Amino acid sequence: MRLQASFLWKGLLSVGALSLILAGLPSSAEDAGTLYNTPYDVAQGERYFERQCSRCHGFDAKGNDETGAPDLTGRLNRASNEVGVFNVIRNGVPNTAMLPVDEDLPDNQVWQLVAYIESLRYDPNLVELDGDADSGLALFRGRGDCASCHMVNGQGGRLGPDLSRIGESTRPEDLMTAITNPHDDVAPRWWTLEITGPDGVTRSGFRMGEDSFSVRIMDNDSNLWSFQKSNIESIERIERSTMPSYDGDMSESELDDLVAYLFSLRREEN
Amino acid sequence: MKRILSTFCALAITTITAQVSAQEQEFQTVMTPAFSPITWERLVNAKDEPHNWLMYNGTLDAQRHSLLDEVNVSNVDELELKWAYQIPEIDRAETVPVVVDGIMFITEAPSNVVAVDARTGRQYWRYNHEMPDDLRICCGRNNRGVAILGETLFMSTLDAHLVAIDARTGNLLWDTEVAKHDSGYSKTAAPLIVKDLVVTGIAGGEFGIRGFIDAYDPVTGELVWRTYTIPGEGEPGVETWLGDSWKTGGSATWITGAYDPDLNLIYWGTGNPGPDWNGDVRLGDNLYSDSALALNGDTGEIEWYFQFTPHDVHDWDAIQIPILADLNINGQNRRTMMWANRNAFFYTIDAADGQFIDGSPFATQTWAQGLDRVTGAPIRVPGMAPTYEGIMVSPPITGGTNWYSPAFNPDTGLFYVTSFDGEQIFFKRDEDYEEGERYTGGGGRYDQPMDAFQSYIRAIDPTTTEIEWEFPIMPRSSAGITTTAGGLLFSGTADGYFFALNAETGEELWNISLGRRVHAAPITYEVDGQQHVTIASGNVVYTFVVDD
Repeated sequence: MRLQASFLWKGLLSVGALSLILAGLPSSAEDAGTLYNTPYDVAQGERYFERQCSRCHGFDAKGNDETGAPDLTGRLNRASNEVGVFNVIRNGVPNTAMLPVDEDLPDNQVWQLVAYIESLRYDPNLVELDGDADSGLALFRGRGDCASCHMVNGQGGRLGPDLSRIGESTRPEDLMTAITNPHDDVAPRWWTLEITGPDGVTRSGFRMGEDSFSVRIMDNDSNLWSFQKSNIESIERIERSTMPSYDGDMSESELDDLVAYLFSLRREEN
Repeated sequence: MKRILSTFCALAITTITAQVSAQEQEFQTVMTPAFSPITWERLVNAKDEPHNWLMYNGTLDAQRHSLLDEVNVSNVDELELKWAYQIPEIDRAETVPVVVDGIMFITEAPSNVVAVDARTGRQYWRYNHEMPDDLRICCGRNNRGVAILGETLFMSTLDAHLVAIDARTGNLLWDTEVAKHDSGYSKTAAPLIVKDLVVTGIAGGEFGIRGFIDAYDPVTGELVWRTYTIPGEGEPGVETWLGDSWKTGGSATWITGAYDPDLNLIYWGTGNPGPDWNGDVRLGDNLYSDSALALNGDTGEIEWYFQFTPHDVHDWDAIQIPILADLNINGQNRRTMMWANRNAFFYTIDAADGQFIDGSPFATQTWAQGLDRVTGAPIRVPGMAPTYEGIMVSPPITGGTNWYSPAFNPDTGLFYVTSFDGEQIFFKRDEDYEEGERYTGGGGRYDQPMDAFQSYIRAIDPTTTEIEWEFPIMPRSSAGITTTAGGLLFSGTADGYFFALNAETGEELWNISLGRRVHAAPITYEVDGQQHVTIASGNVVYTFVVDD
């Protein structure tokens, strides 16, 4: 209870402080922003988000392919900092369903929304890991034999996801899960399809693309095959990963090293 | 010299005359065809002029079944693109064009309309609606189509206006504010002409509005009657709302209804009660949300209602298109209303009095054990209401189906619907109502990628409510359906196909990849003696023909 009261107090103080700062000034994203990043502000922003934004961006802010609303938990395409996020919220994106917020909505509430969106992301540079990335690289290329299936910066195999920027989109704990329990959550792109074509031959490969009337796979020799569903004899979906689990094959510290290396795979921040 | 000159002049005149004559002939082949005014009688008998597509649902009974058969099961695989019209404003197109005597009227996002030559897709005129910048819309800048009476088009606009537009020029005739857009009201659906009235609904169920169905004078734009879809103070049914919750209870009316001239009844669906996912503040059945309403065609009075989902807490609007047809039920000929509901149940209901005849699930659902065999009321599975932590329920928020147009083919006796087998985690949140702000009380989240789910075109026998066949499409489709006397079913997919099936068997006959999601329903019409088939995909309206 004391904690909540403290948040409220800080929030009110922040509102008061910004009111003073903004008194007599036109509303502008450049005027302020970081004043509104207390846990109280984040909670207020979350409340507003769930109410006003989640219909398109999803309750988890991970976007919606159907509405075209982008994932807000990763790198944002239309804003590189808090001011940019503020401007998108305040002004909308012209000629899209992203409308501006109500012009009567006070700037402080927009900043609270910005604070919530910022809270969904995190600065990977501030994450400290137990493992050593250089040792992880050696494992990746050596005993782990990861490069035979995965590419990093154009080098490696085609039988798994390109990991060149994996550290941007995946948190360390999720990297560890992917290494130790690869069957946990397999993206449809990496399902294996076994298709018996019109020639009676059964071909197996990764699900490169599938739609209502056709399906495309890549087999283990990197051959690309395309089928019309009306022509195939059968199709079987294997929703497990082809990647082996490294749980038990590597020591805990080796797994930490591998995670540290994978997490280091990201572009330099501007 | 004079003689030579006069000979030259005569030759020149002859040449010019010949040229003019040739030009005239050429011009005549492309000039605007006679566009005779659309009378109420023509709308009642729309089925008898299948060369036109005179209203959103094709005909007043909303069957979306065309008597054209030039394109049929034996030649549909020869369909080829004839023309494409690019919508300049980039957004998704939910438009269902209206075609009158060779002229097509296409609506565009946010609330514009363009008239094009139905032979070529080339423009006659355009009307751009002036729009305020403080719109309150829940789900995209959509407009689904126009209605026509006489020589006037009627269109809903996102700022909750109804406009009348001259069908020959695109000139604005009148502009009526139906409701306050900054209070959360908007309009997206095509109006319905009923005799000398323009009947139209309202959107805004996520903003705590109080829904209604209106009728306007087509000449003056004045309101003739308004029927609220939530009873007011002192009216029967208001007791189904806790306290004053009826005032902000939603029950919007954002898709076009149907009309039966013999019964003089207008059939119209109502949307979810608000707030959508938190029913604690509106305990009770919440009449007439999630219902089919039958209104008197002259006065708008509610003659009967059928509530599909009492006290809905999953946002399962009854915003579907009622289809009317004569069916033989147990040896008895009955005028029926068929309804595939967002709650994943299909219903056959007596169109005269609203009596439940039969009903069954047509898509995956986990919320009800079934329907009461007498009343049609759902028998609920306990513990399926949204929680603060989240609970998995089928169907998802988007439903077993949604607003997408279904079809009924009298030749096959089958009802066709785009259906979705999915599930979603539903959350509840506490919210206070603020005018013009969203008022939903929660939301939903998919736990699996969309590719893990499947949509189907399902063919249902409405006399037994059993599924006769199904055709899988991917992933979640929001396309409507049209059937033809050529034995065909046309529809589209979320992954950008337009396709034709055998309406009798569900066999795939033809498809073409158009590359972008189909949000609209197909239409078919005839011009110059040739059957055309039209669909909007992405931001393009495509028209196909079979060439001789």
